Amino acid sequence: MMKLLLPFSITPDLEALSEKDWVFTSDLKVDTSFTPLDWNSFDESALEMSLKLSNQAEGSFCFYRYALTVGEMPCDRFLKTLAALKFDELFRVNPGDADLRFRPEVIARIIASFAQTYAHPDFILMGRQKQVGDNACTPLLTAELLGWPCVTQVIEIEPADEHRLRVTSAVDGGTAVQTISAPCVLSVGDAPCTYLRVPTLKDKMTYGKKAITVMKLEDFPEAEVLLSSPNAELCSLTPIHREREGVLIEADTPEEKAEILYRDYLKGRLERL
Amino acid sequence: MALMKREQIVEGLIEILGSENVITDEQVLKESSNDRYRKYEQVCEVYTQPIPAAVVYVHSTEEVAQVLKFANEYQINIVPRTGHSAIEGGLETALENSVVVDGSKMNKVLKVDKYNMQVTCQCGVPLQDLDDMLQEQGYTTGHSPQSKPLAQMGGLVATRSIGQFSTLYGGIEDMVVGLEAVFPNGKICRIKNVPRRSVGPDIRNIIIGNEGALCYITEVTVKIFKYRPENNCFMGYTLDNMKTGFEVLREVMVEGYKPSIARLYDPADGGMSFSHFAAPGKSVLIFTAEGPAAIAEATAAGIKEIVSRFTECEPVDPKYIEKWFSHLNWGAEQIAQEREEIRATKNIGITTEVSGCWDCIYEIYDTARKRIMEEVPDITLIGGHSSHSYINGTNMYFVYYYNIVDCPPEEEINKYHNLINQIICEQVVKYGGSIAHHHGLGKARAHYVHEEYGSSFYMLDTLKKAFDPNGIMNMGTLIPLRK
Repeated sequence: MMKLLLPFSITPDLEALSEKDWVFTSDLKVDTSFTPLDWNSFDESALEMSLKLSNQAEGSFCFYRYALTVGEMPCDRFLKTLAALKFDELFRVNPGDADLRFRPEVIARIIASFAQTYAHPDFILMGRQKQVGDNACTPLLTAELLGWPCVTQVIEIEPADEHRLRVTSAVDGGTAVQTISAPCVLSVGDAPCTYLRVPTLKDKMTYGKKAITVMKLEDFPEAEVLLSSPNAELCSLTPIHREREGVLIEADTPEEKAEILYRDYLKGRLERL
Repeated sequence: MALMKREQIVEGLIEILGSENVITDEQVLKESSNDRYRKYEQVCEVYTQPIPAAVVYVHSTEEVAQVLKFANEYQINIVPRTGHSAIEGGLETALENSVVVDGSKMNKVLKVDKYNMQVTCQCGVPLQDLDDMLQEQGYTTGHSPQSKPLAQMGGLVATRSIGQFSTLYGGIEDMVVGLEAVFPNGKICRIKNVPRRSVGPDIRNIIIGNEGALCYITEVTVKIFKYRPENNCFMGYTLDNMKTGFEVLREVMVEGYKPSIARLYDPADGGMSFSHFAAPGKSVLIFTAEGPAAIAEATAAGIKEIVSRFTECEPVDPKYIEKWFSHLNWGAEQIAQEREEIRATKNIGITTEVSGCWDCIYEIYDTARKRIMEEVPDITLIGGHSSHSYINGTNMYFVYYYNIVDCPPEEEINKYHNLINQIICEQVVKYGGSIAHHHGLGKARAHYVHEEYGSSFYMLDTLKKAFDPNGIMNMGTLIPLRK
């Protein structure tokens, strides 16, 4: 049986924020509590990939899945969905008051400790980054802490045999296909399959009530230590200026407008190419 | 059946409209053979309906009259269309060699009459454009269906549409002042714009909701209202029981309040939008009040007082509701994303909306939901919400998702969607409600027209025979085709 650890994160739907909502509080946070929550899309791809492995193996070999998230109680709804999709064990680490937005080293430490202490997985599958924080470091730091290799920009995985996975990843100018032995961290990038399948109501009723093990940061002392001695301090945040200027081209005919567009806006750029 | 061959139909249409307005491109024809009732077939690009002979673009009422006369003479089935946002099969070309008459190029706003508070526009004016234009000037149509970014005025009137602020502004039937429509024999009829009249039956209602089965709507005049979003008040509550929720809605309506939004979501449906503040198993009640500041404030205060009588209802921060309010509508971007999700997950979401008086709406909701859970395979979510309330009852908008398992695209509609529709319609008929609240009967629910109308079917049938004796107007819609 191949053991898979799937750390995932739940993020606020930032699309639901209007420009006026991007106001920083004194502790440099943006209030996103009024927006719905959703899967982090890279993690969602990783979760779905893990389920596809079972379909592809067609019963030849089995997979045991641990789902792990760091977050508050609203994350339980997502863990219940994974339970209904027959994930085997579900864990949530409650961060309490800790601000982990820009602390990939803490998240990586939690994942690594969980892997070493509880799950002992063959592979860790996780998204490469999330919208909030957006550092793309966590999978790499996790691999480093565990002393495991890490394949980045994974876009597809298939079972190779009982102990190995065939991993396709995006590389400069193409894709690489490697047969990877355990243990390894797989960092999922822009995979074509982004959406997690949906459990039926019957499966929700049958499997969705599986217990969720809730842990605290204190259960991960090495991570807690990192919190008290940050190696970086958040000093400021600045909104990205997304305004665009528009110019109305005025002329009598479409031909004249096209001529102005070419002469004033395109010609110079084309010449610089 | 048409008395002409396909090529002759196309030639005749080119003679009337010119070749540039007669489209025979195969892909366009295929995509014009259905609507979002067959959403999964659309996603899979499988077309099971007869492919029309042509899609034609009309630019004037006179052109519509000429096309209809031609079709009437040669018994060619006409499917009127504007925004192509229908979801009940009303735009399906059910007969061979149909012609889709697209009015989307009749898109001029003819008159904004701020003194008499009405706006006149051609059938192809997009509601979003019209309302954006009016709002810039401090006015609104008050009409805001979820399809606002897609729908156009002719189709909205033809389907007897309703907007999300209907509890205050009413349905489209309450907004339409006057109309212009073309009948199959080419006769152009105009109904003048007056505040009210007592001169016999209200003939606007022959046209409103005709779903293209009696005539082609070319022009509409609707009321406009002052637009005062700065006065909007938002209220939200969580509660344990849908039954209590219906009671709250009833009290608000019976006491005479007119919130622009009065909604009740069950836990399953609400869970998709409100899980960030409503605990699992909780229903959600939402109200918004708008209008002049004094009225909005008084409405909000009155509603709060009524809800406070129901101790089960716990208020939530109004900002949650305000956030939700700013993302109400569905446009092309959401539809494109939905198609991608359906392709990837084979999970599809559909809605069916019905109505009933206060004494039966809960039974309709509860029994239909239970039957669907028991009788339909592969269901992933069944829930619903009430979103349009009246003094004597409310609607129920069933929302359901299912996984499409071991089923080719052309069989999906019968294996799942029609089965669910059947259950809902059976329960509605059993308890005395209406099987369609605002999407129209289309072709999807035309099979239930006799149960829906009862003895009054005589009147609908007589209208059809009188106005469309040759049977050329959107056949299969409202009244099912004989097999």
